[in-house]
Amino acid sequence: MEYLHTDWGAMSRNDWIGVTLTVLAFVAMIAIYALVFNPRNKEALNSQGDMALRDEGEHNNFGGRK
Amino acid sequence: MEATQAAPVKYDMDVVRWFTIASVIYGVVGTLIGVIIAFQLAFPVLNFDNPYLSFGRLRPLHTNAVIFAFGGCTLMATGFYIVQRTGATRLWSNGLAWFTFWGWNLIIVLAVITLPLGLTQGKEYAELIWPIDILIAVVWLSFGLNHIMTTAIRKTSHIYVSNWFTMGMIVMITYLHVVNSLALPVSLTESFSIYSGVQDAMIQWWWGHNAVGFYLTGGFLGIMYYFVPKQAQRPVYSYRLSVLHFWTLTFGYVWLGAHHLQYTALPDWTGSLGAAVSLAMIIPSWGGAMNGMMTLSGAWDKLRTDYILRFLVTSLAFYAMSTFDGPVMSIKTVNALSHYTDWTVGHVHAGALGWMAMVSFGALYHLVKKLWNTEMYSDSLVNVHFWVALVGAVIYVVAMWVSGIMQGLMWRDYDEYGTLTYSFVESVSAMHPYYVMRAVGGALFNLGTVIMLYNVVMTVRQSSATRGVGVVPAKA
Repeated sequence: MEYLHTDWGAMSRNDWIGVTLTVLAFVAMIAIYALVFNPRNKEALNSQGDMALRDEGEHNNFGGRK
Repeated sequence: MEATQAAPVKYDMDVVRWFTIASVIYGVVGTLIGVIIAFQLAFPVLNFDNPYLSFGRLRPLHTNAVIFAFGGCTLMATGFYIVQRTGATRLWSNGLAWFTFWGWNLIIVLAVITLPLGLTQGKEYAELIWPIDILIAVVWLSFGLNHIMTTAIRKTSHIYVSNWFTMGMIVMITYLHVVNSLALPVSLTESFSIYSGVQDAMIQWWWGHNAVGFYLTGGFLGIMYYFVPKQAQRPVYSYRLSVLHFWTLTFGYVWLGAHHLQYTALPDWTGSLGAAVSLAMIIPSWGGAMNGMMTLSGAWDKLRTDYILRFLVTSLAFYAMSTFDGPVMSIKTVNALSHYTDWTVGHVHAGALGWMAMVSFGALYHLVKKLWNTEMYSDSLVNVHFWVALVGAVIYVVAMWVSGIMQGLMWRDYDEYGTLTYSFVESVSAMHPYYVMRAVGGALFNLGTVIMLYNVVMTVRQSSATRGVGVVPAKA
């Protein structure tokens, strides 16, 4: 427990900015996991899996040199 | 299916063509310099007692050439290509894209001039002097602005995952490059970093490892998520997993830099944190690698005949291997053996040769066929390139793994009196056969890039010759 002890009074402004950003990143990651693993979003997300294949044929691949 | 219902789009592909050709050329040059310095390490007489050709000056030229010239041009070619195709729109500014092309190549020319002259900031992977650093920031931002604005004006509702990876790279590399390069100039060619001591080391490796994480990994994952499905003609195995892959890498990678500084003046907990997050990163990395490989589900037979696909899939195997090797090396007990040895060099080249270069070769071959609307001049030469590159990479990586572990064991071995068993020179001497093996492996890899350059040049010539009498149909 001594290893985990923190002297909160000694925290500088930079320390608090760091802690705040760390906690926000952690919360954002939880939110992303919840979004991706929510079964309701599965179909909507996976429906984009063939997006790279949809640009074939209908468009001019060759820019200005066709 | 929003993109496919729209009217035909005329894309801005000339600048993509130039970036593609530049990338193929820089692939040859960058690996050639690598071969030269590998032979210099095995046979020091090859330094010729000439400072301009010495290992110390050519080594940063090699890393800059392969990472920023070859890798950068590949990222920009594929970035501009993918964002147009998946957004069903032209570039936001074709003129700005040309500014990016010429600006990036000017930076490469300046690197070729300044590094052999010994003009350097002495920061690894950020050696270029401060005026060039400013130019890098301007040109990189021009690429970023164009990519982000092209995404903003897209005709599709969804932003494809490849573009997320590229934009993540753009944002993070801007931030990392600017912060790491902050310095006080004292002349046109000299400056002092605003950081000192352990803070300088921490900032340096915060940059160094995130250049690996967001540029060499994230950027090239963007390539992988477009070109693997495209070449296999299969949808991404799990698009959900690709989204998770992007966000976990983005949130996770920024913590890893401290694992480069185990057992230094850096506070102990920072190294532990870096190692812990490194180990956690195996999960999304392997998830992404499996996602790429499983995209071939039902189409594995294509690997027999599609040599371009072989490059792409093999790159994923190396990606998985490197993202296991790295976290293991970050553990303090392993790091005590591996740090400062050739194991690190082997790890880096498993990633650079096996992952980054292989996925680039696959994407570049695909691009050449699409952009010039033709088949490759020789599919057999693509196959030869694949095997030469694979054998070369394996020889290189295995030689460095063995020599690295041997070095670590020799350095820590002591006798019954507590004195070191081997002198440092004895360990250097024991490395000689492995250094020769590394040079041979690198030479094979370089030979592969020469074969690719020849094949691409002949393909473009073949396309130009047929353009006058009708367009050669593309099959891919």
